[in-house]
Parts: sequence; C-alpha cells; structure tokens
Amino acid sequence: MIDIGYTQVAVAVTLMVLAIVLSRWQRLGTEKELAIGIFLSFIQLVAVGYVLEFIFGLESVPAVLAAVTVMIIVASFTAARRAVHIPRAWLWSFLSILTGSVVTLGLMLAVAVITMKAQYVIPLAGMTIGNSMNCGALVMERLHSDITSNRPAVETALALGKNWREASHPFFVKAVKAGMMQMLNFLKVVGIVQLPGAMTGMILAGASPLKAVLIQVIVGYMITAAVTVTGIMAAHLAIRRMFSPADQLTI
Amino acid sequence: METSAARSDGTVLSADNLTRTVATASGDKRIIDSFSFRFDHRGLYTIVGPSGSGKTSLLRLFNRLDEKSGGEVRFHDRPIEQYPVTHLRRKIALVFQVPYLFPGTVAENLAYCCPVKTNPEEAFSSRYLHLVGLEPGLAGRDAATLSVGQQQRVALARALVLEPEILLLDEPTSALDPGAAKTIEDLILKLNRSLGLTIIMVTHNFSQALALDGVSLVMVGGVMIETGRSRELMARPGHDTTRRFIAGDLR
Repeated sequence: MIDIGYTQVAVAVTLMVLAIVLSRWQRLGTEKELAIGIFLSFIQLVAVGYVLEFIFGLESVPAVLAAVTVMIIVASFTAARRAVHIPRAWLWSFLSILTGSVVTLGLMLAVAVITMKAQYVIPLAGMTIGNSMNCGALVMERLHSDITSNRPAVETALALGKNWREASHPFFVKAVKAGMMQMLNFLKVVGIVQLPGAMTGMILAGASPLKAVLIQVIVGYMITAAVTVTGIMAAHLAIRRMFSPADQLTI
Repeated sequence: METSAARSDGTVLSADNLTRTVATASGDKRIIDSFSFRFDHRGLYTIVGPSGSGKTSLLRLFNRLDEKSGGEVRFHDRPIEQYPVTHLRRKIALVFQVPYLFPGTVAENLAYCCPVKTNPEEAFSSRYLHLVGLEPGLAGRDAATLSVGQQQRVALARALVLEPEILLLDEPTSALDPGAAKTIEDLILKLNRSLGLTIIMVTHNFSQALALDGVSLVMVGGVMIETGRSRELMARPGHDTTRRFIAGDLR
C-alpha cells in the first residue's frame, strides 16, 4: 500500500492550482469557488477523519448509532433546502432517509453481512444516506414543480371524481423515476465506464480486486434499495402535503 | 336574496351565507361574500358578471374543489361535507373554461372515469360522442389533434360519463368563435331539457344568458347583487351595476 501523508496531499493540491489557473485563463470565473472548495473540503475531510478515528476508537454501539443519527439529520435538512415549497420538508426527508437507511443497513446487519462496528456501519451509512438524500431532495423538488405546472391535469382528474392519489399518480411515478435515475444509470455502467468509490478505495488500500468487487456489489445493491425506499416514501409523504383532506390541491 | 328557478322542481343545491376568503399580499380578501341561493332540480342558471367578480370561485365551492371559509352548501339538503368528496364531484361535475384532455385518444378520455371493461368500448364512446354532437369516428383520434370546440365537447362528454345531476360549466364558449359557441349553447339547452340536468354556467357575456333563457345571478366583487329571469333583468335591471354590465360598460 502507498504511504499517504500530508506531503502527498500537498502534491495533490497542485492539481487544484492547475484547475484555478485553467479557470482564470479561460475566464470561467470559478477561481474563488475553487479556492474556497479546496479549503473547505480539506478542513471538513480532515475533521471527519479525526471524528471517525475517535468513534472507531470508542468501539461503542451507541456512539455508532449517534453518528448515524447525526448524519441522517444533517442529510434531512440538506434535502429539505431543495424542497422549500413543501411544508416541514425536513420531517418528510428525515422519515424517508431514516426508513431507507434502517431497512437496508438493518437487513445487512441482521443477516450478518456486516457487523455492528463503526468501520463497517459508518462508511456504508454515509453512502446510503448520501444517495438517499439526493434522491429524496430530487423527488420532492420534481413533484412540486410538476404538480404546480400541471395544475389543470390534476384538477381535471379531481373534478372527475378521482382522489388525490389517483390524480397525482402520473407525477408520483415521474418524480420517483427521476430520483432513481442516477442510481439506475450507475448500475448499468458500473465497472465499464467508472469504477465506483468503495471499490476504488479498497483497491487503493491494497485489497484484492475480486474482493473489492464483491463489496462493491453489496454496497451498490444496498444503495439502490435505500434510494428506492427513500424515493417512494418521500414522494408519498410530500405529495400528501399538496392536497387537503378533502382532496383539494393546496399548492 | 333568492328566487324560484325557471322550472321549479325542488331544490337540489343550496348555498347559505357562503363565503370564501383568500390570503393576498395586501391581506385577506373575501372573494365570495355571503352568497345565498337555491338551485332547483332541472334548472338552468347563468352566473354573470365582470371579470374578477367571483363567478369561477363560486363554481369551485359547489363541488369542493376549493374550501369555503364560512356558510354552508347543501346537496339534496345535506351539507356537501357529508358526502365522500369523490362521489360529490361525480354528482356535481365541473367542466373547466380551458378543457384539459389527457394524453391519448378521445375514447380513452371518455373512459377515464368509467370501467370500460363492463361496456363495449365502441358503443360506449359513440353514445357519449353522439350526446355532444360529435361523430363516433372521432373516438380513435388523438385528443391533442382536436380543435378547441371539439375539445370542449369531448370534455363535456367526459363529464356526462359521470352521470351527474348538476353540471357546472365555466365559460365553456369563451375560446370559441360565434358559430361554435352557438352549437355549444344548443347543446347546453338539449342537456338541460332532454336529460333533465341542472346546469349552472358561468359567463361574462349577458347575451349568452339571454340565449339560454334561464335564471341569471349577477355577481360583482364576490357579491350577488341581483337575480332573476335573464329577460326580466334585461328589461328591468334593478341595479345600476347590472344595467352597466348588460350595456357592456363593465368587462
């Protein structure tokens, strides 16, 4: 395995300097954002490194659960920022991401694919929660914009005696598909166009490619299941907020 | 302020002190103010008034597409809230000013609310197309290729599939040329007289109310200022605003 230290990181920074130079040369106007990005990503990742070292060192199940809970809460608020038009979007994001994560991680733990150790649960939870967050945000945002821009279609269905669920079903389907699309595309090209993060990380850390592939398969399926559960649940929870109990469109 | 309908046959729908208030940037605004009226079974009513007088808002309260802020609406002498809303909307069908036809054929639009499996599809479509004066051959046409007049008729036919007792029509001829408008007016008279449907139609065109020869309700600023047989209102308007509206000074 390659020995990684701050010297190697400093060398990597030269690549970011190259990006800044290119941005300035081509007048992209992204130099400031790149510089901030370099600084923030370094600070955040190093801080996370220390936090993980600390949690791994504790070897405590409550500490692992607390860390996962914090990750889900942060992800919920991040997703809700993109769904500003939906009342209490953070709550629907939280419930959807929590369910998606608990179902998938819980199953993996229950059948002993992984054990309740920080080094397994936290990285897997991070990938699951991160992808679920993106899916949940996209689904809620898409639902709101589609239903708002297709008000005549929804109200026509309601006026013809359909209930809120039937009237919004076409937009529910579109939104969930849109939320899952990134993951579905990833599954189709994985290993051919790109080597995913978990697998690349393991190979870089010295694991055999075959073992890394098996882990990646598990991770990929876990994320897909979590994204599906989160997307469907976020859509159901968000769509209900757009209708009154008397099946009236309220947005 | 109440009046007997053209053909008194018992009250089918009544409103008592009906009010709707909506929040606007400049504070709460009462868009329907203390509306009271009794609509008789098999009656033909036109709600007339200048733009922004609350005509469409009133229709939307009758089938609960919007929620009232105060007062009461009764259907067959029962508050409309006591009916399952999907059932209520089938009994009090609304056809919008700009009809929305779902993607697909005319036949598919007609079958939208009806389990066509129990009907021979062709006979089913023909029956309703015939009712609104369209050729049965139109059933297989893509709904998007129809003219505005044809779309309005298909929307009417689709509402008739629900077998409603009351038909709410929101300016059904506003986008049509005079010739096409006349055929829709004839159709409305036929539906009222032959099928015995109670019809409540919104129009900003008083000459249309005259052509239909029913009872007119004059709305201004959310308030019903006057009501009576259209011809009587034309001959002896009891309110200066009604006179100005009939004369075309108010739009």
